[in-house]
Parts: sequence; C-alpha cells; structure tokens
Amino acid sequence: MIFDVELVLLIPIITALICFISPKEGIVTWISIIGSALGLVAVLALCLPIFLNGTVTEYGAWYVDGLSALFMMITSVVALMVSLYSQGYLRTEREEKLLTLRSEKHYYVFLNLFVAIMLSVFVVSSLGLLWIIIEATTLISTFLVGFYRNEKSTEAAWKYLIICSVGITLALIGISIIYASTVGLVTDESSALNWPVLMSIASQLDPVLMKTAMVLIIIGFGTKVGFAPMHTWLPDAHSQAPTPISALLSATLLNCALYGILRFTLISEITIPGFATTLLLIFGFLSLAVAAAFILISKDIKRMLAYSSIENMGIISIGFGLGTSMSIFAALFMVLAHSMTKPILFFVAGNIIQQYGTKEMASIRGLKKKMPFTSTMLIVGTMAIVGMPVFAVFIGEITILYSAIDAGMWWMTVIIVILLLIVFAGFILHIFPMIGGDTEKDVHDPKSIVRALPLVVLAGITLFFGLFMPNDIMNGFEMIVNNIFRGML
Amino acid sequence: MDPVIYQNLVDICAVSMLLLSVMAIASSRMTRLSQIFSIHSLLLAILAFIVAMYTGNNHIFIICALTFILKVITIPKFLNYMMDKINMEKEVEPLIGIPGSLLLSTALVLIAYLITEPMLDALSTMGRNCLAISLSIVFIGLLMMITRRKALTESIGLLLMENGLFLGAITISYGMPLIVEFGVFFDVIIAVVIIGIFAYRINRTFNSIDTSFLRRLKE
Repeated sequence: MIFDVELVLLIPIITALICFISPKEGIVTWISIIGSALGLVAVLALCLPIFLNGTVTEYGAWYVDGLSALFMMITSVVALMVSLYSQGYLRTEREEKLLTLRSEKHYYVFLNLFVAIMLSVFVVSSLGLLWIIIEATTLISTFLVGFYRNEKSTEAAWKYLIICSVGITLALIGISIIYASTVGLVTDESSALNWPVLMSIASQLDPVLMKTAMVLIIIGFGTKVGFAPMHTWLPDAHSQAPTPISALLSATLLNCALYGILRFTLISEITIPGFATTLLLIFGFLSLAVAAAFILISKDIKRMLAYSSIENMGIISIGFGLGTSMSIFAALFMVLAHSMTKPILFFVAGNIIQQYGTKEMASIRGLKKKMPFTSTMLIVGTMAIVGMPVFAVFIGEITILYSAIDAGMWWMTVIIVILLLIVFAGFILHIFPMIGGDTEKDVHDPKSIVRALPLVVLAGITLFFGLFMPNDIMNGFEMIVNNIFRGML
Repeated sequence: MDPVIYQNLVDICAVSMLLLSVMAIASSRMTRLSQIFSIHSLLLAILAFIVAMYTGNNHIFIICALTFILKVITIPKFLNYMMDKINMEKEVEPLIGIPGSLLLSTALVLIAYLITEPMLDALSTMGRNCLAISLSIVFIGLLMMITRRKALTESIGLLLMENGLFLGAITISYGMPLIVEFGVFFDVIIAVVIIGIFAYRINRTFNSIDTSFLRRLKE
C-alpha cells in the first residue's frame, strides 16, 4: 500500500477541522490524540522505508529523502506525545479556571494545523515554498505562544512574531539572490528553486552571490533556530507558551528552520566549499557560550530549558559545521536525541508548575517526597539532557567531540568541553535542590495515566538510542550522510 | 522602446521608493505613515509594471496587480481601520529623535552600497542599482522597527522591509517562480492581520500600544 505525501499532510489538517466543527467541546482532546496517532502511522509508513532504504519519493511539488524522513518522523512522534500530555494538562488548567472549554478547542485546532505546517516544511521540493512554509509556522504558532492572553504571553508572542518575521525577510532576500544566480543556467525557470535542479547546477552558481545569500539565509533562518545573538525571542516564547507547546516549539519548530539551513548549506558547500560550514561553526559556538552562561544564572525553570535548547542547537550546528562524515552523523543523531529528550523535561516542568503554581526554581522544594514519579522523571530527563552515559545525547555529544579532535581542532574541543561542563553544573545546581527538602504546599503527582505515558515512552526512546544502535537505523543515518552530504565531503 | 529608457524608469521608481522610506523615518504622524506606505507600494507596483513590459514576463503583471490590490489599497485601509479602532494618539514617539534616525539611515544606505559592491559584476544591468537600494530600504525598515515604540509603527517598518525585498526580487531575478510570489503575498497579508490582532490585544491588555511596556520579560 502506498501512503502518499498528501495523506501525511491531510491527516493533521482534517483532525484540526474535526476539532473545529466538533459540537461537543469535551471530546476534541481525544480527537486530537487519535488524529496524531493516525498521523504518526501514516508518517512512519511513508518515511521508514525511505529512511531505511535510502530511497527518494519525488512527484509533483514533493520531494522526500532520508533527511526529510528523519525530521518528519521526529516531528510526528513529538506531536503525538504533546497531544497525549495536553489532555491532562489542559484539564488541570481548566479546573483552575485558566482556560475555558472553548479556548481548549481553539488550542487543538491550532496545534494540529501547526503540526501539519511543520510536516510540510520537510516534503516540499521548492526552496521558495520552504521559505513560505517556515514563515507560516511562525504565524500559526504565534497564536499558541500568546494563548493565555495575559500581559506576559502577549509580550512574548509579539516579540516572537516581530523578530522572526524580520529574520525570515532577510532569508528571503538571500533566496532571491540565489534565484537570480540561476538565471541562464536552467531552461524552465519556474522549477529553478526545486531542490534536485538546484543541486544539479550548484557547481555553476556564482560564488560571490552565493556568499552574500548564505550570510542572509543563515542569519534569517538562524533567528528561528535560536542561534545567538538572534535568540532573544526564544526564552520568552518558550516560557510563556502553554507547557506542551513549549515542548513542541523546542523539539520540532527549531528543527524546521535548522532543516532549511541544512538544505541551503548543502548547495552552498558545492559552490563555495567551507563558507557556510564556517558560519555554522561560529554561530554554533556563540549559541553554546551564551546558552551556557544563561543556564547558570537562570531562575525560571522553563527559561532554563529554553536556553538548553539554544545550547543543543549550538552543538548540532557545530557538528554540521565541522563537516566530516562522522560529525554530520553525530549532528543528525543529536537532532533526534534532543527532540526525544527535551519534551520529557518540559512535561515534567509542566507537572511541577501546575502543582506549585510558580516557575521560580528557588521556591520549588521537596519533589522527591511529594511527587515521586515526577521527580524520578526529572532526574532521568536532566541526566539525559546534560549528556550522561546510557542516554542518547551522550552518544551525540561524545561523537561530535571526537570528530572535533579528529579534525585536529584541539582548542575547540577544550572550549566545547568547558562550556558543556558549565551547562552540566548549571543544571545540577538548579535541579537537585528542587528534588530534596520538603514543602508545606499540598502537591501531588498528576493522577493520569495518559499524562504519564508520554514521559515514560520518551524516556524509553532516549534510553534505547543511548544503549543500542540497530544496524538498520545506523545504515539509514549513514545513507543520509553519504547520499545527501556528498557535496560537503 | 529603448532598453535605456526602461532602465531609467526603473531607477526613478527605485530611488523614489528609497526617498519615501527616508520620509517614513522622518515623519512624526501615524496617518501620514500609512499614506507613505501606500505610495511606496504604488511605486513598487509601477516598477513591477515597467519590468513586466521590459521582460515580457506575464507573471510580473500579476505581481503588479497583486501589489496594487493588497498593498496600495487593502493594507493601508486595514491600518487606518486599526488606528481608528484602538483610538490611539497619532504621535509616533521615536526612541531616537528624527535627526538621529536620518543620520543613521544615511549610514545604512552607504553600508548597503558597500555590501553589494562586490556582487555587481554578477548581476543584470537592472539589478545593479536596485539591489543596493532594495537592501537600503530593508535596513531602513529595520531601523524603523527598532526605534519606534508603537506596535503599528513596527508593523509598518516590517511592511517597508517587505517592499524593499520585493523591489530586489523583481529587479535582480525578474520575479521568482510565480507560486512562490503568491505564497509570499499570502504570508504578508496573514502577517498583517495577525500583527493587527496582536496590536489590538496589546492595546487591551496594556491600555496602550506603546511597545516599551513590552520590556518585562527578562532574566
């Protein structure tokens, strides 16, 4: 049976529609869960063969290869987890009179539309369309960031909308410069921005134009990835959005823009080898350094997690910037590892914030006594994200460090290690006091299996990839590295 | 007609757009600003028309029509409607005074010419001047977004940036593939509606659409 790309995109859209027209507002949460589950099945049916066999599905406006397949599967898994978690989370919010049933319905409509748009980022062939869709992800998620409609969330949404729109405008100038440099090289100009066409003529593009274009594109999309110093919207948006949405932003939205940068980097590496990767290295380092500093001093738990996303994007970008086959593998693996690990922490943060009624880490104490399940998951998530052995992030980070040494960049490796140690210290310093001690507040674990399930599943996935690396999956990664990154190597 | 005439006409439009952007930076009244944006877009539409005549590319005519309908008529109407609805004061209140902003925008124009200088050989004749002008307009739009406090002024800054962008896209590449252009327009109009909604919401939650209230989120 062939699962077409359209089906993958239609399932979340239809889910959103059903949520929108559903007469009973109480059931939308279940519609969303079923829709996300079906969506995941469709995505796996389309993407797993592509990922494992290294094939390419290409027809009409679509182009799906191993790289897109990897990102799509990540997005879909996280989307299902977020849907599951949202059920209990939103119910609690409603009981505390922070939300109405009606706004809960809107939440699910926006959530599913957002997922549909994020999935379409990875399937379009034209890089021009890619730009439009990335802009569309900003527009739709603005509503989710500003969902609570209070002062702080409005401010966060406004900053997010304005900063990302500006960034993305710069990226479009870059894209039109690339388009200008294709004039005369292709016969059919309407397909000039299509990925296969661009790849085939990449070596003949004008290097000077390409340089300017890449600077604009990396700054533009980098704004959305959260590269320092354009990251200022990110902690605000992540801390003010409803917690499940923070998880979705961190684990999937950042990937969308990263994917955009990757596609353009691959082309520019053929035209002007070494230019875009150097930029990625610089931004990677800046992001890692800025994030490490802010993690150390942060007080708000969600802001700290947001800075940790910036840190991880920095490491991933360093991996791509090193440009060896090992480091690229590691960076791709880090994308997977980060997206599977970060939602655990956001979900845990959601549990804690709802019970304690505060995001200030200093006023949260006694988790181990009062919320044993949450505190266990918090420890697991923290260990996983700081890169302790047996977790997936560890494999990614250690491989990137190893490939940095392999490339002869000793001083760089030392700096990365120091920054990672600072991050580690920051997390331990802030997280462990919350676990110990005691509190007078009447707090308890959320009594909902649906709400606990995503935490357990995600922890299982990150442990699995930390301990085992099945040959098939390893092959899939290697094929992406070999097939797609042939320009880079 | 002689290509040189087309070339000159395009240059006239582009330069007028640049001057209007500088006027936008220098103007102190909101209603004036939306008028300037309207004329700015009209010039863009005319420029698109000239390029379409010159290249014979049919889809640039469509861009021209879309620009006219959306940016010359609809968006300024919407902006005026928002201004009436949220009943704001009509003063702009810049963070940096007008003389300072003018000086800065001159510097930005120089920077834009500096950046584009090495790229000139690779571009078509029409693109040579226009790329620098397009970048200047984008930078000036950005300056306006940074230095103006009101939510709607920030939106107009963004719109000016978009116009500069289209100026570049039309002249250096004679319009990108049509589907892309459509998508971009679609995005612009959605962005304006969303920005409008948020400007309205900021007005309600903060009782003013002065965005300097929006400085509470920090470490």
